[in-house]
Amino acid sequence: MTETNKKEVIICRCEDVSEAEIKQAIAEGFTTINAIKKRLRAGMGLCQGRTCQKLVARIIAQETGKSMEEILLPTTRPPVRPIVMGAFEGEDK
Amino acid sequence: MNKVELAVIGAGPAGLAAAIEAAQLGVKVVVFDENAQPGGQLFKQIHKFFGSREHKAGTRGFRIGQELLAQTEQLGVKVNLGSTVFGLDKRNLWVLKDGRTEVFQTDAVIVATGASENALAFKGSTLPGVMTAGAAQTFINLHRVLPGKKVLMVGSGNVGLIVSYQLMQAGAEVVGLVEAAPQIGGYGVHAAKIKRAGVPLFLGHTITEAIGEHQVESAVLTKLNGRFQPIPGSEKTLEADTICIAVGLTPMMELARMAGAEFKYAPQMGGHVPIINDNMETSIAGMFVAGDVCGVEEASSAMEEGRLAGVTAAEYLEYVDGIAAADRKALIREQLSAIRNGTFGKAHPRDEVKEENIYGLKSSGTPSKDELDSCPGVPSKERLAKGPVAVIECVQEIPCNPCEQACPRGAIKVGKPITSLPQLTENVCNGCASCVTACPGLAIVTVDRTYDENKALVTFPYEYLPLPETGAIVDAVNRQGEKICSGQVVKVRNNKKADGTVAISLAVPEEYAMEVRSMAKGGTK
Repeated sequence: MTETNKKEVIICRCEDVSEAEIKQAIAEGFTTINAIKKRLRAGMGLCQGRTCQKLVARIIAQETGKSMEEILLPTTRPPVRPIVMGAFEGEDK
Repeated sequence: MNKVELAVIGAGPAGLAAAIEAAQLGVKVVVFDENAQPGGQLFKQIHKFFGSREHKAGTRGFRIGQELLAQTEQLGVKVNLGSTVFGLDKRNLWVLKDGRTEVFQTDAVIVATGASENALAFKGSTLPGVMTAGAAQTFINLHRVLPGKKVLMVGSGNVGLIVSYQLMQAGAEVVGLVEAAPQIGGYGVHAAKIKRAGVPLFLGHTITEAIGEHQVESAVLTKLNGRFQPIPGSEKTLEADTICIAVGLTPMMELARMAGAEFKYAPQMGGHVPIINDNMETSIAGMFVAGDVCGVEEASSAMEEGRLAGVTAAEYLEYVDGIAAADRKALIREQLSAIRNGTFGKAHPRDEVKEENIYGLKSSGTPSKDELDSCPGVPSKERLAKGPVAVIECVQEIPCNPCEQACPRGAIKVGKPITSLPQLTENVCNGCASCVTACPGLAIVTVDRTYDENKALVTFPYEYLPLPETGAIVDAVNRQGEKICSGQVVKVRNNKKADGTVAISLAVPEEYAMEVRSMAKGGTK
């Protein structure tokens, strides 16, 4: 574990994104889960946001004063689980 | 392209119950589950379930899983394991199995994907040793590996309470239970079990830091004010090598959502859930949901929802006519509403915490004197003076009635709704202790104040190993888990029917008859 990790609160552990980075991004105007994802990659790792999505939503709610209900869900699309590209080989044959 | 009449996604309690119900009506069902084993969370549940006796209450969760699997086998339901459904539209399932993708075309789909555990972020929360309560439960109950020796549990919902108890059964020490709210979230009887084991409760607290060089060595707790803000200077440090997080569940609704089902936000149900009618039908024709995916609840309600979805799917596929289906659905709905009644049911939103309502069992894990005095299961002083009798310390309206059938003399009545508190007819009860090991909440003891000139006999349920020897002198503990006196083990009843819940009879000084409720784990504190 790095020294930074000990001091910071890590929100997205797959992509190593801290609470401070997310708050900074919100201050810059990235105020949806999708926008935070595109800006910082939070939620783009192996777990696909199952761990951090709710935490990110809560920080957005805290920082912007929006209710949890107002914070839109990110887009869901296949695959919902990580899949190696090779699995799709020869599907149309 | 593979064709499937009814695809069920998820082989947990909801999915299996749905598959069984639909298959019984003649539907050809195929179940998909990403795990190597079926049963969802059921095979991790070694505790006895609540609910009604006809619906397996008092049966340990993993045995319910075994029964569901046997039924699916009998009915010829195909259960595809290691099969990850990674995409879904109105009619097609994309499945990954053995590193290959396949598409299944279906006539109807039941989504029963369950829920995932919420995370909590704090300083050091990525240290090894921090894990969800469900992960710890998988360690101990599936793999039989102890994740740590000194565990701090964060969250006092039923998951946090049950896993704390099971960690102690597995041999760990639970150094504390932390809860941000001013009251215990889960069933009081679950809290009472860990309280009797002496686990300190930290209500109105949160974890603010995990400390350790290479793994968790200690945890910092901070008191919260009324607005859930940490109070500076209130920090305390607890030694722990494992921190378990049990702070709620979120429905795994991605598949239903990508298929286009309409959603609503329902915080008391765990977040965004698909909008359904009372047939478990989503906004998409032929797509049904059941279990935690449409609102986080218990396994017992997940199974009923599964049955409902199974009947509706069979009706949709024209295996049963509207009239027959309506009858069947009405019966299942009646069961569902019965288990949703009471203090913890859907009719009573959990997020409404009023200060005047926080007392006794909810605030301490121990029923108060008032709660016990007004409890219809606690006998009168006069009856207690006459000889052995059951003392049913069940003070919360939870859906449960195995005690009623356990009594061979009909001295216990729960009746309808099954959330009613059990009533003891004290002059019919002879203190036989059949109910002591039947209560899934371990909330019943028998007390014989006439046992000896100055000794009383207290018989309580016990689920830790090793069991004490008859004749052994052990530390007798009260409801708070404090040693109050010594007691001699007079009898150890390990009845096969009680499935591991042992009745221990302890002779204790007469004045402690109404205080002693268990013994120290392992005999001495």
